[in-house]
Amino acid sequence: MTALRIEQWRAWAPGLDSPQAWQAWAQAPAIVPDRQEQPECASLPAMQRRRLSRLARMTMEVASPLCADDEQLPFVFASRHGETTRTFSLLGEVADEQPLSPTQFGLSVHNSIAGQWSILRGQRGESVAIAGEADTFEHAMLEAAAMLAAGASSVLAVVAEEMPPPAYTPWIDDVPFSYALALRVGNVDAFADESSDWQLRLNRHDGGDERCPWPHALDFLRALHTRAHSLEHVWKTRRWNWQRTR
Amino acid sequence: MNTPDTAVGREALEHEIARLIIDTLNLEHLTPTDIPAEQPLFGDGLGLDSVDALELALALQKQYGIRIESDVKDARRHFATIATLAAFVESQRAACAD
Repeated sequence: MTALRIEQWRAWAPGLDSPQAWQAWAQAPAIVPDRQEQPECASLPAMQRRRLSRLARMTMEVASPLCADDEQLPFVFASRHGETTRTFSLLGEVADEQPLSPTQFGLSVHNSIAGQWSILRGQRGESVAIAGEADTFEHAMLEAAAMLAAGASSVLAVVAEEMPPPAYTPWIDDVPFSYALALRVGNVDAFADESSDWQLRLNRHDGGDERCPWPHALDFLRALHTRAHSLEHVWKTRRWNWQRTR
Repeated sequence: MNTPDTAVGREALEHEIARLIIDTLNLEHLTPTDIPAEQPLFGDGLGLDSVDALELALALQKQYGIRIESDVKDARRHFATIATLAAFVESQRAACAD
């Protein structure tokens, strides 16, 4: 059993960029149209912003408000599919026997966004970049819990997925629209006002396919808003059980 | 000697290279006239870095079909400003035309 506190959250998706918009979405979840919109990230100087992919901008947008300027927070970046747009463009260049863009190449690796977060925000602590399956969100939370257990007072965890290029459609079916969720995760024993405490349990699942209709991160965000007491996410042989304790 | 024609040609080339830099390096906040031909591109000037240098070399090779040898000292000289880049592109084109 893993216990954690959600101290703060921020989320972004096309057209969903305020707490009110997410509250409305949580009451009536629906697929929002994804027209390649991306956060402005206007707080970053233009020279620093220019290399950020859409996925990176989404990550910066949700993570930035949860980390004070004078604060160092361990960072978890989680994405099942990662920089599909960059990767697809690189593969196109390979197929055309064109030289690869050094920038695209260097920033296509899975931990590049964690690296950019570190550089742009002067974060010198540890960071991890993980890619799980459809339950990447739960794995990210386990990672954050491990960092807390190792002594961190809070951890910043971001789950971000971008709608992949259409060529991937036959294989990627769990990204209804681009989204990013940042959670500032803390220990449950500390005093806090506007937070919620959760217990996460993993059990074996032997039954049939019971996929959650929404990405787990967004379903959890929905539960935060509707003040649901529990939720369950099943993927393959894993049954993740979330219980709200406060 | 610069005849009026080559001066105009040089200016057009400098403008073209400025555009190439902006497009290649995603300097969406700038227009070609924002980058004076004599302004240092790296470090304290425009603020480009070593990854930009690689990216820019690739773009110049693609656009002008020129080879950029990996002689560091020479490359640093050619990549100093838009004016030196324009001179470099012209000399490479002349060399190819010979």
